[in-house]
Amino acid sequence: MLTTLKRAALGATTATVMASAALANPYADYAGTTLVVNFPAHPHYNAVMKILPEFTKETGIEVEVDQLPYLKMRERQTLELGQDEGDYDLIAYVVFSKADYVYADQLENLARYFMNPKLADPNYDADDLIDGYVYNIGFAGGNKGYLEGKTGSLFGVPYGSETSILGYRKDIFEKHGLEVPETYEEMLDIACKIPELEPGMGGLSSRAASGHHASHAFLLHLAPLGGRVFDDNWNPIVNNAAGVQAAEALKQIVDCGPEGATSFGFGEALGSFLAGDTAMFLDTTVVAGQINDPSRSQVVGKVGWAMHPMGTRRGSQTGGFGIGIPKNAEHKEAAFLLMQWLTSKAGDKMVALAGGNPSRFSTHADADVNAKFPHMATFGEALKHADPDWRPIIPVWGKINADLGTTLSKVLTEDLDIQTALDGVAERTKAVMDEAGYYTWQ
Amino acid sequence: MATKGINRLTPYMFMAPAAIIMGIALLYPLGYMVYGSFRDWNPSQTIGESEFVGLKNYITLFFDPAFRESLSVTLTFAFSVVIAELVLGVGMALLLDRNIRGMSLLRTLFILPMMIAPVVVGLMWRYMYHPTVGTFNRFLERIGLEGVDWLGQHALLSVIIADIWQWTPFIFILSLAALQSLPRSALEAARIDGATAWQQIIHIKLPLMMPVLIVTALLRLIDAFKVLEVILVMTEGGPGLSTEIVALRISRTATEFRELGTAAAMSNYLLILLLLLTLSMFAVTKMQEARAARLARQIQEED
Amino acid sequence: MSHERQNPAFYALLVALIFMAVGPIVLMFANSFKLDVDIISGTSGLVFLPTIQNYETALCDVLWYDPDHIDFCALKFGGAFINSLIIALISTALTLVIGCMAAYALVRFRFMGRDTASLTTLMVRMVPPAVLLVPVFGLWNNEFCIGKTTWLGTLIRDYLGGRGDLCLAGTHSGIILVYVAMNLPFVIWILQSFIVQVPRSLEEAARVDGAGPFQVFFKVVLPLIKPGLAAAAIFTFRIAWNEYLLASALSDRDTKTVPILIVNNMSEFNVEWGVIMATGMLLAIPPIIFTLLASRQIITGMTAGAVKG
Repeated sequence: MLTTLKRAALGATTATVMASAALANPYADYAGTTLVVNFPAHPHYNAVMKILPEFTKETGIEVEVDQLPYLKMRERQTLELGQDEGDYDLIAYVVFSKADYVYADQLENLARYFMNPKLADPNYDADDLIDGYVYNIGFAGGNKGYLEGKTGSLFGVPYGSETSILGYRKDIFEKHGLEVPETYEEMLDIACKIPELEPGMGGLSSRAASGHHASHAFLLHLAPLGGRVFDDNWNPIVNNAAGVQAAEALKQIVDCGPEGATSFGFGEALGSFLAGDTAMFLDTTVVAGQINDPSRSQVVGKVGWAMHPMGTRRGSQTGGFGIGIPKNAEHKEAAFLLMQWLTSKAGDKMVALAGGNPSRFSTHADADVNAKFPHMATFGEALKHADPDWRPIIPVWGKINADLGTTLSKVLTEDLDIQTALDGVAERTKAVMDEAGYYTWQ
Repeated sequence: MATKGINRLTPYMFMAPAAIIMGIALLYPLGYMVYGSFRDWNPSQTIGESEFVGLKNYITLFFDPAFRESLSVTLTFAFSVVIAELVLGVGMALLLDRNIRGMSLLRTLFILPMMIAPVVVGLMWRYMYHPTVGTFNRFLERIGLEGVDWLGQHALLSVIIADIWQWTPFIFILSLAALQSLPRSALEAARIDGATAWQQIIHIKLPLMMPVLIVTALLRLIDAFKVLEVILVMTEGGPGLSTEIVALRISRTATEFRELGTAAAMSNYLLILLLLLTLSMFAVTKMQEARAARLARQIQEED
Repeated sequence: MSHERQNPAFYALLVALIFMAVGPIVLMFANSFKLDVDIISGTSGLVFLPTIQNYETALCDVLWYDPDHIDFCALKFGGAFINSLIIALISTALTLVIGCMAAYALVRFRFMGRDTASLTTLMVRMVPPAVLLVPVFGLWNNEFCIGKTTWLGTLIRDYLGGRGDLCLAGTHSGIILVYVAMNLPFVIWILQSFIVQVPRSLEEAARVDGAGPFQVFFKVVLPLIKPGLAAAAIFTFRIAWNEYLLASALSDRDTKTVPILIVNNMSEFNVEWGVIMATGMLLAIPPIIFTLLASRQIITGMTAGAVKG
């Protein structure tokens, strides 16, 4: 009789354990759903594609990805988000789309998902997410409308974010006894010395093509040199002394750059560095993976990393993508689970190892990640100076950005006078801001 | 004569499908666009929700230096391309108007460029113009010259060259066909009279080919305004606005700047321009046709 | 036909012209078989180790094996190829049928509105696709829709799935509609000049024998304008196959055509020249085949109407 009792007890315990194990799977209710997701064609998201099968294995939720070039992605999203019922359950949005989407009330406020005990993972550790990224990409409604602040709330989680970093050719620097530049003066000095020391080689390869390429490059220099696009009252100050200095820095860089620099988009600028035609590269941290890929790069192992040089202050860019849930999505809870999984400690580490950009401090400090990508430690340092306000994120920014970009391209190719050009931009910007209502309270 | 089945409705039945389709998918959208050009309209609104602003879009555009630059780029592009292609195409036709073996193979090879997708043409040339790995610069460097920044400093020229590559065959084939259908008698007569080849060309061949050439030039001119994909792939309109033809600007205004009303107004400006060009070409054609007919009659009378 | 001998300079010119016409295409062909590293580092033109890696990457979703060098299939070329094929073939067929009927009506019948129709057809030819972009985008997405709450809408949604209103955008039919409309003017213009050459006497004879107008059209006229139909078919197919702008505005992830894929692939981050060349080559193959097989028809089509008499 004792044996029967024991067996019964064993049976009951096993049953309870099994039952609770079944209950303990938060993904059970959603297994079998297919999520439709919109991602950009970007190195980080290529890495994400590699780890998505892991997600499906773990949760049973299928993911169908629509991967598009990022400008096309924006257009597509604008269309889908405006419908009553949208195609996408999760979208990756570019930073400056945050303003458009939140303003048009097209993204889900993530508060109620994090409040739902069935969905929110208590081990998520949101404090580990990099502050600059969270406020730049995920937060809306705070100070100035787009920064951190008591009035804001979270609409997306940063994923695929980047800051700017200086990559340089260790071998060239050693050969000529050059010091790694710490300040802008030093960097500009070296940029123009290189073509003399190494004929045929450019100093620094930078984006410069007309449109958002040129304006991105310009803004990279504006923040560390102490400038801003707008002052606190939204008056354009892009044509002040710091602005002119930034434009001059850009012009100098492009003049001392490699062949064809004036029409470089990001791809060409990177390509030039990868082919060994330039000694320095000042742009996004995203490129790190490609630099050490022998099928793409001819400078494997020759590149060192340093922080974005200092002007009057340190201020590297913050940018990249975040992921959010459209209001018109079909499977919102499952989408949230995907979002949480991707940005969890484990998911972040997985994507970092696959070549993507981590969103957490812990991943940057992780031993395995650093073993595979030794530059992660420098990147982690650089992130402490990431400036969320290097670029305004307001709905009318697209137009202003386009104007800034085309004007700067003319400065670079047609030798337009810098002060006149920037004055023109400031004037046109003022008109746009006025029309959008930014001066209503003055 | 009343025969079985033909009644008044027959022609309409034949015409109907075409009329309906062109109505729904061409004429209605065009009307929609004209309507939209008077409104301040962005892509997240349906046209009913947008605000009526009268001629504001047109006026803003008229004074917009970017639009003017785009317009001048378009005109430069269109006329350069047509003139260059005419000269080259007719020149080639005159030179190759002989009996040679393999003429049809030659013609086949020559029309290949026309059949390739504009997108692919764009990327072929983008590769060839690439500052470091491109064919042209590599060749130049190999013979000791410096590479040229094709897509940076000479963007419009580079784009024009790519278009010439693709469309000269069109003019060539048509001119050749025209040449080969000229009345041999006139040419014989001129040769017997001792005219040199050059004189033959100027006084006989060209004038007789004029009607065809004008129609061809007109067709090519209209198509030159439609070119967009080649430029999009090669330069995206840059650097600055130096290759941003109006069609490209319309597409950008709609998708990047999200201002559909302005895009619609720009489209109207473009259409009006094309209409003026077409009408003036028609007028010139009529005049030329009359002249050519007169000439042909003269030559016949002299026989 | 007597073939005259020409001087060597002429032949040299000829070779140069051929080189210029065909050169870029051959270059693209050669590059599509090279690895990116080779293309960038400039190993000289034609002496290299060919590889089919680029084609494998492009066609990864229709290959029956998994190539080693790619982790996941980014380009869905097979699907795009099928979309392009469906859209191009159906557009061509529809345009031909509708176009030749309209051309016949314009040539043979006198009816009210004929001149207007003729003129409109000519004028509409002027319209650049970019001009149609804005209104077609707006209409196809917002107006030409079957609401999901109407009986037809609910029926379709119940059977075929999907969400939201059924609009023309994102469907094959939507794109086909635009292509047919865009190509009709040109096709009507070409076919008109061919129909004009069909002797009326043949038609009269058939009518005397008791044939109705449709029979006359199908049995007498159509067979005689076959060259014109061939030329029109090739031109329409070429436009529908190669078009990018309107297709990219009107397609969603399931109806992407090949040109869209190619342009999307020229991303900022990874200029993979080899794969780009391979996809370009794949897009160019049908038109090249047509050209080689049917150049005579193409030329006839081009010269029709332009060269009088």
